[in-house]
Amino acid sequence: MHSAPRELPVCTCPLVDTEAGSASTVVAIACGDSDACRLRALGVYEGATVSVINKRHCLLVDVRGTRLALDTALATGITVQPQARPSA
Amino acid sequence: MSGLPQPVATDATAPLRVAIIGNPNTGKTTLFNALTGLRQRVGNFAGVTVERVEGSFSMPDGRRVTVLDLPGSYSLSAASPDERIALETLLGRDDAHWRPDVVLVVVDAVHLDRNLFLASQICELGLPVVIALNQFDAAESEGISIDVPTLIYETGVPIVPTVAKRGEGIEPLKQALLIASTLPAPTRKFLLPPDVEAVLAPLQGELERGGINYAAAQMEALRLLSVRHDEPHLAHIAGLPAKLAQVRSALDALGVAAERLEAELRYTWIGGVLARSMSRRGPSGGSRTDRVDAVVLHRVGGPLLFLAVMAVVFQAVFSWAAPLQDGIESLVLALGAAVGGLLPEGDVQSLVVDGVFAGVGSVVVFLPQIGILFAFLSILEQSGYMARAAFLMDRIMRRVGLHGKSFIPMLSGYACAVPGIMATRTIDDPKDRLATIMVVPLMSCSARLPVYTLLIGTFIPALPLVPGLDLRGATMLAMYVLGTVTALGIAALFRRTLLKGPVRPMILELPPYRRPGLRSTLVSVWQRCAIFLRRAGTVILAISIVLWALATYPRADVDATLPEVAQQEQQLAQSVLGRFGHAIEPLVAPLGYDWKIGVSIVASFAAREVFVSTMGTIYGVGGEDDAALSERLLAQTRPDGSAVYTPLIAVGLMVFYVYALMCISTVAVTIREAGGGRLGWKWAGVQFGYMLALAYVGAGLTLVIGRALGFR
Repeated sequence: MHSAPRELPVCTCPLVDTEAGSASTVVAIACGDSDACRLRALGVYEGATVSVINKRHCLLVDVRGTRLALDTALATGITVQPQARPSA
Repeated sequence: MSGLPQPVATDATAPLRVAIIGNPNTGKTTLFNALTGLRQRVGNFAGVTVERVEGSFSMPDGRRVTVLDLPGSYSLSAASPDERIALETLLGRDDAHWRPDVVLVVVDAVHLDRNLFLASQICELGLPVVIALNQFDAAESEGISIDVPTLIYETGVPIVPTVAKRGEGIEPLKQALLIASTLPAPTRKFLLPPDVEAVLAPLQGELERGGINYAAAQMEALRLLSVRHDEPHLAHIAGLPAKLAQVRSALDALGVAAERLEAELRYTWIGGVLARSMSRRGPSGGSRTDRVDAVVLHRVGGPLLFLAVMAVVFQAVFSWAAPLQDGIESLVLALGAAVGGLLPEGDVQSLVVDGVFAGVGSVVVFLPQIGILFAFLSILEQSGYMARAAFLMDRIMRRVGLHGKSFIPMLSGYACAVPGIMATRTIDDPKDRLATIMVVPLMSCSARLPVYTLLIGTFIPALPLVPGLDLRGATMLAMYVLGTVTALGIAALFRRTLLKGPVRPMILELPPYRRPGLRSTLVSVWQRCAIFLRRAGTVILAISIVLWALATYPRADVDATLPEVAQQEQQLAQSVLGRFGHAIEPLVAPLGYDWKIGVSIVASFAAREVFVSTMGTIYGVGGEDDAALSERLLAQTRPDGSAVYTPLIAVGLMVFYVYALMCISTVAVTIREAGGGRLGWKWAGVQFGYMLALAYVGAGLTLVIGRALGFR
């Protein structure tokens, strides 16, 4: 159904696998179509930066100042490229 | 049919039609209230459970402006029923064919980038647009400075900074709406790559031939690439699916991912616009919200705090309302007596006092509960806590196929199903909402208490079980648990049968915490009370009069030498209602009831608490004298000398009342909230039917199991 992104960067993983406190760039969204639509309208689109604030039964993420709670299943379908942590 | 954006009605006498739209949590409804005040009409969009609120105001020159509050939407992608309604209304393709002259987009100045996504879609509909830059003060205090003239230049539409909560910017906004209605509609502000443009052209042409204007066809072509669900408003364009498939494969050949094209184009444009018109001092906001969330969403502390908040709300609805309700009840009764005193004794007096005033009284006693619950819900919603509550409860509610937002309506049901059902409108998914409406009345409400109290007090011994809990308390608790567990089970059943559908994964915005506005709270309370009085009140009044007539006619030959309560008993026994009670005796006999219980059940179809007063009338103790009634009930024997009432029968009767939907207020509210009209009646029928079946089977099973265990 979903046209796979043509070239995935080497270092990608599902959003659900990133650590709390880390930021990453969205590479591909492979969820149900209406869910993908909603995510994009909420600012989670290919190229957007997403930071995971907290992980529990679902994911708490920050997208440019907006707090979102996302299902784990949904976060599994979002492929991201983790960004390097700014050195403290 | 096609061509350039259509000219706007410039008839200065016709009311100006404004549609107001915005992301959730932008203060859209607050702005709507600030514009229109209390001149609002609440209804439903045809055939769906989405609320339609229309208001109006007058310009200084006397021109009328009607404003339609469209459901909160993140985009026009029609991913939810709310968004579909918004899109269809804006395209003039909804059932009512109401098309706005101007669209007012409410944008949250703090989250401008995300909010401009919807705004950029709206700007391509071929309609004049005004943007309200709301929560402008919050943006300033977070160090965000917005260059409004540049933003106006970039978007091509009038923009007015507002603080809806304090009523700031409302007058300039009204002027802007009027001016915008004479301006040409804005157009798309970004270009597509030429090859993509060429690929999309046939699709746009197809849409234009289907009656969509040029600008909206551009928007729709781009939008359709990212969605894959049925679009009822485009179903009349036969060639569309084929064209869409062609375009998708052509884009694929160009190496363009069709489904993400729109998001990439719009966000790229937004990024450029904001780089030129917005600057941010200091770190991005949200640190205060993060600190509060650290407590509110804490793994242990969060649920505890939630319980405490719910305890306060529940307690308020349950007990703060009680004195107000008593006051209203005695006021209505006193008024009834006063009016009755002016009338000659007879049927007319009885109709006014026992029919109209008693009926009206049974309606308005719900007002304090509705008012208090909606004051709390409005404060929780505005403050941002409601989204957190839904987040915390989502895990539990998901197990029965419901959403976290179903929890609060169900909890409210313990106090009263009427505000509980009205509170379901925060639930976005229509199937979740209906499933919740269906089960809210299973939660034991306060109107069941008089029934439980009478039966437990009379038939259940106060055997101590554990310190602090005796058999009576345990029985009461069992009734509440029974209702709650059944509600969860039935909800799961509905979601797997009649309301089958995928449980949508949670995508929940947790808005920043904000101080609730008094005005919005009061408007919300007023609105809910008015809806209840107007819609439910008429139905309840009519049914109260019918029930009164059934209990009064035909007039019986009563023995005038008997005391008054005995006369009432004779009258009731020979009335239509009494005869009906006799007629259904074979039906209630398997449950162990005689005709007198049958009559009381039939009489309490309108309101459960009537059971107690009807029993009082039948057993000739009058009024609601529980102690005297208890004695009489215990003394009742059948012709064979066995007791009519045993503890087992009393428990069965309580189970019946746990399940049966005997409350016309609830039925009336379900009709309205389930979509109104035929749809509403259908769901109210389903609800009443399944609960009655559950009550009958439940009471019967209680008797069978009880007897098998050796109880009498």
